[in-house]
Amino acid sequence: MKIFNFFIKKIFLRRVVIAVSILLLILLSNYLIFISSRSVVSTMQGYEEIKQLNQKNSYIANLDPESDIAVDRITKDNTQRLYDHLKEEAVRYGILAEGFVIDMPNSQDMEITCSYLNKEYYDMNKQFAISQGEELDFGYDVDDSPVIPVWVGKGLSESYPLGTVTEVYEPVLQRNVTLKVQGILEPNIAHSNMYSLSSKQYYNFSVIVPVNEGFIRNADIDFQLQSLFDIILIDTTKDKVDEFAATIQDELGAKFNFCTQEENFEYFDDIFFSSMKIILVITVVLLVILSGIAVWSSLSSVRMMIKEFTINLFVGMQYSKLRKILYGYHGLLFLVNLLILLGITAHSRHGNWVRKDSYFCTFGFCGLISMDWIALLAVLVFDIILGAILVELMMWRIKKVPISLGVLQ
Amino acid sequence: MTKIIDLDVKEKVYKSKKATMSVLNDFKLEVNSGETIAVVGKSGAGKTSLLNILGLLDRNYRGSYQLFGSKTNEYGLDKLAEWRNQKIGFVLQESALIASLTIEDNIRLPLMYAGPEKNAMAAELDGIAGKIGIKHILNKKPLECSGGEKARAVFARAVILQPPLILCDEPTASLDGENKENILSLLSRMNEEYNTTVITVTHDMEVADRHQRKIRLQREM
Repeated sequence: MKIFNFFIKKIFLRRVVIAVSILLLILLSNYLIFISSRSVVSTMQGYEEIKQLNQKNSYIANLDPESDIAVDRITKDNTQRLYDHLKEEAVRYGILAEGFVIDMPNSQDMEITCSYLNKEYYDMNKQFAISQGEELDFGYDVDDSPVIPVWVGKGLSESYPLGTVTEVYEPVLQRNVTLKVQGILEPNIAHSNMYSLSSKQYYNFSVIVPVNEGFIRNADIDFQLQSLFDIILIDTTKDKVDEFAATIQDELGAKFNFCTQEENFEYFDDIFFSSMKIILVITVVLLVILSGIAVWSSLSSVRMMIKEFTINLFVGMQYSKLRKILYGYHGLLFLVNLLILLGITAHSRHGNWVRKDSYFCTFGFCGLISMDWIALLAVLVFDIILGAILVELMMWRIKKVPISLGVLQ
Repeated sequence: MTKIIDLDVKEKVYKSKKATMSVLNDFKLEVNSGETIAVVGKSGAGKTSLLNILGLLDRNYRGSYQLFGSKTNEYGLDKLAEWRNQKIGFVLQESALIASLTIEDNIRLPLMYAGPEKNAMAAELDGIAGKIGIKHILNKKPLECSGGEKARAVFARAVILQPPLILCDEPTASLDGENKENILSLLSRMNEEYNTTVITVTHDMEVADRHQRKIRLQREM
């Protein structure tokens, strides 16, 4: 340790420019790996979620990009007739509607939103896991029952612990209802955007409301309309889907496309996997360039410090000791970089809390979530490989210089 | 008398793109403990090559070398380093100092690799520095010192661990009369008190005459 400290303080850090340039090069490559890995992990997570929803004989709705929808001309009768049509045709469907703000004071002073999902959607999507409480109950009667059972995110568990009963103004039903906390979601439960798989919103400050036919009937037009945009028609036929699309055209004056499982996978493969490939190729190319510069810098640093190295070897330092010191020094540089990355990520995650951006607030050590840790692990693996390459190249270069010549440089 | 060096060099070859040159052809050297030897000869005769081989800095030659009864050709790089630290003091030219360290840190360098049992040797530094007149520069950096002062600092570093074998490459080349005398006196005192073996490469016949034996190397034709 004494020798290591000596080398750090009196040899390496005396060459500030070299130390800083290597540090910056490593930081740049580490940041590149970090953001690419995180993006890939997030996309893969999103893809896994979509795979659960995109099932055989199911059709996912999507408003045709060429089609306009005149919202102000649509009445609740129009939208309700669409749900009635599905009921008459015995077509099962899954819906998820989000972003409805509800007034629920909480210890973090966050804006709370409700996410509504029906049983079919809940059964397909395995994202919703609870740490406390019971399964969602979709069997309540919104007309008669005074209480709607809900789940709340972990961020609300302090203000609304399991079993809490609270009366609130329900934004979709537009009347006061009583909510009962029936479950607490596990931390960082998220939902990926279906058409931007790497984008996520977190349910830590959300209320998950189970929705049934009665609820939909009593809900306002905004809810009914929003639910249609990503509605999933389950285990049905192409004829029935076409018929429903025609009904939408009649009622809303808008064209909806319903994509099959195959079409959706083709879309994801085209858009996401090709973009992931591009990200990976660019990342690899940049990494090769940055690693090349790092190798060049390291070999230059050997040239500049050869006298220091060889004088130490001359007076009795073993090559194996020097190798350990170089590994230790690079380990230290990588550790500093990892801490900087951790700091940047923690700062970014913490920013969501400061801005009260409830959809993006996450729980974890320094606010970091699994994808951050996986990305940091990827960085660590890269650093170990790069570190080994740099150190071995430096040792090779040092050994090439005879000690008797090196000391007289 | 114990034989501490038994060197048998068949050939030491230097190759460059333009030419190949060999030195120390069929060169044999046996040295007993406590001997002082001066190596003289013209430039290119192989004096420094000999010193590098004796100092375990160069193994790229044909032949064998036994030091303190051990075959050094069989040693790994780490063992050679350990021996350089424990058994050999090498007095090089003045420039062999680390510019970013103080003179004291430069002199202490071998202590760092010597292990805790040699910690007591650190106390020798003041004495040695006093004897060769560098006490006043211990806190200075090499760039702030004269050539002679740096040469003496290199000397102090070589003897700080009181090695049984001291190899000197032109140790007095940049010294004035008084400092030259100080260095030579210290070498003889170490030889007398600790039975230290000294091998010196020099062009200075006055220095060579202060040694018990002289070896003259001839340039290979």
